[in-house]
Amino acid sequence: MGAVELLQFALAGLKNGAIYALVALGFTLVYAATGAINFAQGEFYMLGGMLSVWAYAGLGLPLPLAGLVGVAMTALVGGVFELLAVRPRKDGDLLAIIIITVGGSMVLSSAARHLFGPLEKALPAFTSTGTVSIFGAVLEIQSLWILGLTTLAVVALWYLYNRTSLGRAMRACAVNRDAARLVGIDPRRIVTVSFMLAAALGALAGLAVTPLTQTAFDVGPSVGIKGFAAAILGGLGNPIAAVAGGIVLGMLESMSIAFISSTYKDAIALVVLLGVLFWRPQGIFGASRREKV
Amino acid sequence: MSRSIGARLARVFVSTCIVALTVPVFLVGCDGETGYGDGETVRIGAVLSLSGSLAGLGEPARRAIEVEVDRINADGGVNGRMVEVLYEDDASDEARSVAAASRLIDQEGVVAIIGGSGTGQSMAMRQEIEPGAVPQVALAGGSIVTDQFSPWVFQTPWPNRVVVPFTLENLQAAGIERLAIIAESGGYGKDGSDVTKDFVDEFGIEIVAEEQFNRGDTDMTPQLTKVRAEAPDAVLMWAAGAEAATILKNNAAIGGAAPLRFFGAPGNARLEFVEGAGDAAEGFMFAAGHILVPETYGVDTEAYEVATSFIDRYTERWGAGPDIFAGHAYDAIHIIVEAARRSPADFTPGDLRDEIEATSGLVSVGGTFTFSPTDHNGMTADDLTMYVIENGAWAPVEEVR
Repeated sequence: MGAVELLQFALAGLKNGAIYALVALGFTLVYAATGAINFAQGEFYMLGGMLSVWAYAGLGLPLPLAGLVGVAMTALVGGVFELLAVRPRKDGDLLAIIIITVGGSMVLSSAARHLFGPLEKALPAFTSTGTVSIFGAVLEIQSLWILGLTTLAVVALWYLYNRTSLGRAMRACAVNRDAARLVGIDPRRIVTVSFMLAAALGALAGLAVTPLTQTAFDVGPSVGIKGFAAAILGGLGNPIAAVAGGIVLGMLESMSIAFISSTYKDAIALVVLLGVLFWRPQGIFGASRREKV
Repeated sequence: MSRSIGARLARVFVSTCIVALTVPVFLVGCDGETGYGDGETVRIGAVLSLSGSLAGLGEPARRAIEVEVDRINADGGVNGRMVEVLYEDDASDEARSVAAASRLIDQEGVVAIIGGSGTGQSMAMRQEIEPGAVPQVALAGGSIVTDQFSPWVFQTPWPNRVVVPFTLENLQAAGIERLAIIAESGGYGKDGSDVTKDFVDEFGIEIVAEEQFNRGDTDMTPQLTKVRAEAPDAVLMWAAGAEAATILKNNAAIGGAAPLRFFGAPGNARLEFVEGAGDAAEGFMFAAGHILVPETYGVDTEAYEVATSFIDRYTERWGAGPDIFAGHAYDAIHIIVEAARRSPADFTPGDLRDEIEATSGLVSVGGTFTFSPTDHNGMTADDLTMYVIENGAWAPVEEVR
């Protein structure tokens, strides 16, 4: 295998990894706020694409505005979902919340199917359908957008966590909910905000990918599973780890195809995931800490 | 944690039950008429994938059946009896298609079942069809549906054992010797690539690479990079879903000035695919039925009349033309109704099965149907046309180069 081909595999892995990373960030945010896994995360990815297409093709908005509308509306859906479905579960019982999010994901995809129909929808590329050549390997301009938006999201999230009072409140809640409440932070508000942010991140991924893959009401679960695996692989609750987990998973899949077989790419990724969890249950980059039940 | 394990489990159980009970209600809430008829109507069941990953196949099928049942009833139904179709959504889920078939047979007393939309669903329903002794006309194109023969099961689409030799013949004519396959890992892709491998030797074609992807994958660049390394003359793609467009776009991106030449299958005869792939689909060739361009039936043929009048009715009702999946459902409802018209007045599902098997020379949209006790599909390569995508639309190719 030539160096150019190897680079091509790496670029493909990086591109898929960036998508997984954005979805994984959503898992991480909700986990930090509630301690639960939000299985509706994949549906936010689906909604980001579908609502953007609706705003672009249905409302006739220009693409940048349509994208903004798609992401903002998905964030709103995330917030409403939390208020209507998760918050009423006042005791914060983890299993109950997880099951609620599973049910919610079904409701969201059925609703999308009824509102927008069963067929896949297309969106034009943000700027150009062209490609750039990197030492002979090729990357779509749209993939540069995906990588750029992922980087931007990580920087924005870092800024939010470290430089704003809201971010500090979110971190405080993640560390200790009761202590946070004692210093005047409303954990319920933090949970709502986390769901909205998670929805926005998932939507951003869905929006950025749609020009390459189209979107449909049923794209959520498969990407959701990949994002979940990435979040676990990196280490739940840590944004940088989630991104790293996404990139590692994308690379792993791509290299599985390169060196072993496309038939087993998902199985190989899963085996590595299990292996990592045996070796480091907290994830590759997760901080070692005692698991609270 | 102070609460007892028992109380916790009970709560989880209750939550699960609520989710389990409410979600299906939501999903099937939009099913069609299911009221009991007056005993005079001819009741036919339709188990279609109206939601889930195969919804793109089930929805046009339902629309075609609705249009045609209205016309059949306006023409006097079956010897004066009205035709009533009971729709069930299997949500692209094999277990649900079995449950739907069971309900239609045991509770609704249907005389025949149309469906399922997918190969897996059509096969799964057989466990209810055979003991229930009700004929099934499947809308799925997997060869297995009629290869694994059942006297009760018929099939309207062109199975891959018809599509593959036709496609390979065209590949051979185009001078292709080194072929790569890229296929989705599920039913349609697996059936397609298995049948392709059975036939390639006959046409002097060698398979130099075989790659797979899963439904929902967002990027197939790694597979294509691997395929390119083998320098094939062309790639045969078995992908019915949205991934087909992604593959062509990936191919155009990494191919630059020299993208690989791609061939496909009837599953690609979808406008969403052509639109989604855009410029990357230019020159893409695939075999499908004549309905895509009715002139390929021959403008002075009966089939042309049948197809264009169906296209007009369908377009008037739904605002867009029918695709091949609507055509498969058109074939199914007409095969059943024609057989019912030939049957005795108080026919049983068994009588109907015998008459369906006796179908001969029925000119329909997918082709001219002639069944026999050993052939429950009856399609041949004559019912297929090779299409090429040019300027964002499909056009028939006279000669493949």
